[in-house]
Amino acid sequence: MLLIRAIIRPERTGIVLSELLAAGFPAVTKMDVYGRGKQKGIVIGDVQYDEIPKEMLLIVVNDEDKDDVVKVIMRNARTGEKGNYGDGRIFISPVIDAYTISTGKQGL
Amino acid sequence: MKEVMAFIRTNKVNRTKEALANAGFPAFSCRPCLGRGKKSLDASILNYIMETGDLPVTQVGEAFTETARLIPKRFFTLVVEDDQVDLAVKTIIKVNQTGNPGDGKIFILPIDETYKVRTGENTL
Repeated sequence: MLLIRAIIRPERTGIVLSELLAAGFPAVTKMDVYGRGKQKGIVIGDVQYDEIPKEMLLIVVNDEDKDDVVKVIMRNARTGEKGNYGDGRIFISPVIDAYTISTGKQGL
Repeated sequence: MKEVMAFIRTNKVNRTKEALANAGFPAFSCRPCLGRGKKSLDASILNYIMETGDLPVTQVGEAFTETARLIPKRFFTLVVEDDQVDLAVKTIIKVNQTGNPGDGKIFILPIDETYKVRTGENTL
């Protein structure tokens, strides 16, 4: 199993969430985060804005579904044809185990 | 070391904190989040409503809400030693289990290194 953390533009989460649902990945967690990227935030004149609001999506999937989920997020979170700075990042890390609390069962 | 990530109901937070402290896990962090699960409609819930005539309220009702809606949950993270993982998982499941969909999920992730900011040691 893999954990996909996608940090994307807040205005794009709506479309990403509905496209994930359509692609067959309904389970997702969303939280508000603030951060900056390689561009050191947004610099306007002397003012540097380095706590830019983003939204983080957490999705745990089986190994074989990872590429599909990443593709769906990538396609829908990107702005314009080639994308822009600030469109976000996707991080993938391993998950050892998963439990469902309502049944107590192991596995996704 | 392992990281235990648990997504639980917001009304179970206090009881979970208490149970974790009693089980020897005083250290954790938690934050609010929104989420949705698999939401496959369980026939037993339908039967329950048909038989009892209860309106689908609270936890049972969550299964009937539209799939795209995000439900507020609480996101717990605790980092524990390898041999403590089972105890932590069991403690969380025991307190949070109501048997209805929407009780939450627990994920176990590997942690390679930890550091204490105060002393700089790399022990838990």
